[in-house]
Amino acid sequence: MAEELLKEEEIIIRNYRTSDYKATLKILRELQEQYNIGFVESKWRETSGLRQFKPNLKRITLIAELKKTGQVVSMGMLEAVKTNLGQYIGYLNNWATEKEFIGKGVGKILADRAIQILKSWGCEAVRINMAYIGEQKLIDIFGKVGFKPIITVLEKKFDAE
Amino acid sequence: MAELFDSTSKKNPFEDLAIVYVMYFDEAQGHMPLLIYPDDNYRNNKTFMRPIKYHPIWFLSLDESDALDHIDLEFKGYTFFGKKFLTRSKREKRRAGLEVETPETIVVILSLPDNIELFGDGLIRLLTQNIRDKYESKLFEIIDSEILKEEVIKSPTVKTRIEKGDSFKKELRTEIEVTTNKFFSDVIKNSDATSIRMQKAIAYLAFKGIDVSHLDGKEYNGTFSNIQLFDPNIQGEVNFVDKKPFIILKINIIEDSQELEILVQNNSLHAIKGTIVKINHLKEYFEKEVMIETIDSWEAQEELVFISPIIPYVDDYLFFIIDEVSNEKLLSKRIDLKLLEKT
Repeated sequence: MAEELLKEEEIIIRNYRTSDYKATLKILRELQEQYNIGFVESKWRETSGLRQFKPNLKRITLIAELKKTGQVVSMGMLEAVKTNLGQYIGYLNNWATEKEFIGKGVGKILADRAIQILKSWGCEAVRINMAYIGEQKLIDIFGKVGFKPIITVLEKKFDAE
Repeated sequence: MAELFDSTSKKNPFEDLAIVYVMYFDEAQGHMPLLIYPDDNYRNNKTFMRPIKYHPIWFLSLDESDALDHIDLEFKGYTFFGKKFLTRSKREKRRAGLEVETPETIVVILSLPDNIELFGDGLIRLLTQNIRDKYESKLFEIIDSEILKEEVIKSPTVKTRIEKGDSFKKELRTEIEVTTNKFFSDVIKNSDATSIRMQKAIAYLAFKGIDVSHLDGKEYNGTFSNIQLFDPNIQGEVNFVDKKPFIILKINIIEDSQELEILVQNNSLHAIKGTIVKINHLKEYFEKEVMIETIDSWEAQEELVFISPIIPYVDDYLFFIIDEVSNEKLLSKRIDLKLLEKT
């Protein structure tokens, strides 16, 4: 397994560009099929992944690209949200990797960069939302870099009319 | 501007372009016009005077006004540039607590059609400087004369004071006329003719009936200006210096969330550090800040999305990109929701 890991210098981590739309759409579709994350294709527009600023919220979509081929292999959104108590909490959302690159350490490289960015934005903590019946393996992976489960979120879906 | 207000004055070709208001703060009546160039009759037009009296410059302290250099207000196709300063006074004030020496608050407002607003920064600075330098000790006498005109019985002394004020006012009007004319002549003579913005401004001047025919051709020496129009047959270099650093690519209303989405691109070829992005909403001439964000680094050609909540019953929004250090406005855009498509 270790020899299959991609090295940091083999990957470019950069901000999303509108030209990444198709590649990210493919990754998000796969994520939806696997975990039913509530992804609605019509809502993911070309501009959705751009750096976004609104009152009390900043968002970036990071892209991991193979240096050699330029292929988009992983993506992840990070958000800094100002709480009612005035603190900024960082969130990592929609973290997904192309099937053939899962287990090659791309997600970890991307997450490390995201955490650096959230820290520089003044976030006091970083949270990851993941499926409730998530794989223990994932929880263990995140546990190794300091993430502990602390809250349970309950959700009720409104039926689409 | 004149078409809005039925002016028939055609004294010189630049009269219709710029309107200059010299105003003062009257302790009894509030914001009052002292002189309006080219036509003093505008002071009787309430619709016209409202944006002038409620221009944000009035509500800023002098420190703030100095720091921002001048304040602009965009209104119905015109940009109103405002600058405030204090001048010496020896006038008896009409409010308790104010001394004879309490300085006069003077506001100079310049209105230009949006098409030539690029001249505003330079012209308002020049006008304010000239008025300040040459009329520092005369403005209070003009104010005095204006106030005395309202008196029913005018003694010979009062009449003399009114005449003195009127004579200064006449000089001031001539000064504004000379400054404005010289400014427009100089700016056209000396500006970079290859600039797209300048060409647009000149096209506007031509549209307004100002004679620019001498610009089209090689024999233009000794005429009003040495500027030349673009010749479509000659391929020139593109002037990147004047290229706007930011462009708005798209503005959308997101109906689901009742938000306004503005897509902006750094149009330059390098990253731009330290910009402030502000969205204000506009209600009855007053601006209120909805969003302010500092962008530490904006990469070359990068597109960013700014989202503002839509305030119920508010249709007008102002979008600004400002340089954090120099306070220079790099982009300003007025957004009218009624004119946008919903997505």
